[in-house]
Amino acid sequence: MTKKTVFVGLSGGVDSSVAAALLKQEGYKVVGVYMKNWSKDLPGFPCPWKEDFQDAKRVAIQLGIDFKMYDFETQYRQKVVDYMLDEYKAGRTPNPDIMCNQEVKFKLFLDTALDDGADFIATGHYARIKNGQLFTGLDENKDQSYFLYRVTEKALQKSLMPIGEYKKPEIRELAKKLGLTTADKKDSQGICFVGKVGIKEFLEQYVRAKPGKIIDHNGKIIGEHDGAIFYTLGQRHGLNLGGGLPYYVTGKNMAKNEVMVTTDLNDKELWSKELRLTDVHWINDKPDTIKKYQVRVRYRAPLVPANLKILDRSSLLDLRKAPPSPDQLISSGSGLSSFDVAKATSPSVKPLSTPTDLPWERAILGKSSLLLILEESVRAVTPGQSTVIYDESNRVVGGGIIV
Amino acid sequence: MMKIYLDYAAATPVDPEVLRAMQPYFSEKFYNPSALYLDARATAKDVQDARAKIAKQLGVRPSEIIFTAGGTESDNLAIRGVMEQFPNANLVISAIEHEAVLKPAHLYNYKEAPVNSDGVVDLKVLEKLIDSKTVLVSIMYANNEIGTIQPLREIAQIIKSKIESRKLAKSALPLFFHTDACQATNYLHVQANKLGVDMMTVSASKIYGPKQMGGLYLNARVKLSPQILGGGQEHGMRSGTENVAGIVGFATALDIVQNNRLKEVARMRRLQELALDLIRQKIPAATINGSSKHRLPNNIHITIPGQDNERLIMLLDEKGIQCAAGSACSASNEEPSHVLSALGLTDKATQSSLRLTMGRDTDERSIRYAIEELALAVYTTFDSPKIVHSQSELSRAKTVLSEGEVAIATSREEKPFVADRIRSGDGGVSGKSSKEL
Repeated sequence: MTKKTVFVGLSGGVDSSVAAALLKQEGYKVVGVYMKNWSKDLPGFPCPWKEDFQDAKRVAIQLGIDFKMYDFETQYRQKVVDYMLDEYKAGRTPNPDIMCNQEVKFKLFLDTALDDGADFIATGHYARIKNGQLFTGLDENKDQSYFLYRVTEKALQKSLMPIGEYKKPEIRELAKKLGLTTADKKDSQGICFVGKVGIKEFLEQYVRAKPGKIIDHNGKIIGEHDGAIFYTLGQRHGLNLGGGLPYYVTGKNMAKNEVMVTTDLNDKELWSKELRLTDVHWINDKPDTIKKYQVRVRYRAPLVPANLKILDRSSLLDLRKAPPSPDQLISSGSGLSSFDVAKATSPSVKPLSTPTDLPWERAILGKSSLLLILEESVRAVTPGQSTVIYDESNRVVGGGIIV
Repeated sequence: MMKIYLDYAAATPVDPEVLRAMQPYFSEKFYNPSALYLDARATAKDVQDARAKIAKQLGVRPSEIIFTAGGTESDNLAIRGVMEQFPNANLVISAIEHEAVLKPAHLYNYKEAPVNSDGVVDLKVLEKLIDSKTVLVSIMYANNEIGTIQPLREIAQIIKSKIESRKLAKSALPLFFHTDACQATNYLHVQANKLGVDMMTVSASKIYGPKQMGGLYLNARVKLSPQILGGGQEHGMRSGTENVAGIVGFATALDIVQNNRLKEVARMRRLQELALDLIRQKIPAATINGSSKHRLPNNIHITIPGQDNERLIMLLDEKGIQCAAGSACSASNEEPSHVLSALGLTDKATQSSLRLTMGRDTDERSIRYAIEELALAVYTTFDSPKIVHSQSELSRAKTVLSEGEVAIATSREEKPFVADRIRSGDGGVSGKSSKEL
């Protein structure tokens, strides 16, 4: 039998290095590929792409595998960075890593590699793939399945994630044993291309932010912020309000460039029990409204049991009759342009054929959308972030973007 | 792992004697040489002595030495210091100057004299390029990439005759000759008076002295506009408190390399010949860049067709051998080498070029080991790290390579990881540092 060829995305980090080594040991013909997605320097932070490229190449040499580079800079800019900037401008907090997996690693890289002679691609993700199904990584601390829920079944069938069977310390150990140069390299933090530069510093390069008002739960203006775009729901830091109790962001009004805050961690606006998801992606099966699922509202958040409801025109009508409480709307939906609390409190009974008034309705209509009913309230559910849905066997069944 | 350093053109380790000479000036003799108390006067005297030593090696007067923070600064001072005063004038440089000359030259009207395929400046063209508006000619003594030595004395003759005819034409415009001698100082004489240059850049960091320390010989007849203003040190040409430790280290290092020069040149020549012979033997596809006659004795610069220099460097690094890409150009650095382009090399050939530069710790064993490993690296394909282990296998491999394929020849069982493989029986030396060799 001829060896199957697998193209491993080598990032220049320890995880993908070991992934390549493991696949080679398993008997695959392995080709290392460095994806050049970003090469621009940012203020105070030189882009590490050259070092990463050289580390990746060095690992390929140490493993004795073939090596090449794919230049995806243009596509990455369009599919990931522009998406991210647009989301921030709309007042949401996007997750570029999820977009990068969906558009770049498991679409562009996969297609390019398959055309280039690969039978499979592989990455250094802490997750497991079995029969086109996605499962959490065995290392609960490092599990990255959250970032992968938008990868299609078809792509999963062509992908390998050998690292998912190991724990991080074991990976470092393996790297050391193999004498790989990346064995002691620090993990990259957060968004891959932003690296060590903060998201605020990154955004400042691309959007012009203006100072605006900070308004507390009593409607009192209590200070000034440097741009509503920089604030995320539930966020505690960076408000520069000085002394006293810490403040938490409960909502934003992008049109007025206002940030709403509270000192009360139990403030209802910080907690939600119902979540609306749009752009829902199901990997293998169809949503089951009877079944109990486990959901994760942000990376590394604990799993919460939940039931789901499919949101279509008729269910919207139902919701209209008994609209969600204004508190919930603010916490989950106020990030969208101008949200009027008064409108939500007085249930309007307009026919649904007319344009909707509620921003979450506008976001939901025409897309595959879900309502999640959680068993317990969760704090700081952030519009633009993803909620990922698991079943009882640690399998990722799907997820969607929080409205 | 044994380390074999073959990148002496990039940096040299500080000579222990130099380090010893520098040591006192960081602590007990830390004084500012401009101060009036006796301890500071003593330090000033040490600077004066160092300046005299350097002047003697360069065959010039101590007052003609300007200390700077390295070769790049010296080049900038020479070029900008002259050109700023003559906004309508031009300068002539060679096509293979170091960036420290190129970049400042690009600020003014400049002309580039081409080089032949050996990297030697075309004197006839150079002569024509020097016109009635040329105020400065800057041609390096020896090239940093390919080691080619330029005929400075002949160029000085050309300049002299240009000056004569300018006098006849009653032109008041001066014409100066500058050379960057950073790479030459280890192996060539640097008597500026005999070379016929008006300005000469020298650097401590390439001669087993400290980094960020250099000097500019400045003939008394050349007036420069200073580039760094302040307290007026170095006759106002370069302000800033003297780097006393650096200056003392520089003088010591220059004495050592110049006093041992001829012996070291002979030793380097033998090693260079050995290396080139071994390369011809083991990697017949390789071509040697630069001049075989007018060449620094420590420089080996080759192109191995079809090879990626970055990969070779990394493979050799795994074996403890440290060398350089033939130029700044490699897979992750797209800037092509202007030096290799000037020789007529394609971008692809540039990316297949390697530079090995030898120095004090290089000996026959390390050269044999390095070339052996280089040959193995060349015949190692990326996938399946099959290594050639015997001479007969090597010739088999060579045959395949000359047919334009990447060679594979092995009788050994392939082990899964290069890093795990224990080297044995392939003629390499083991377990000794380059110091012990």
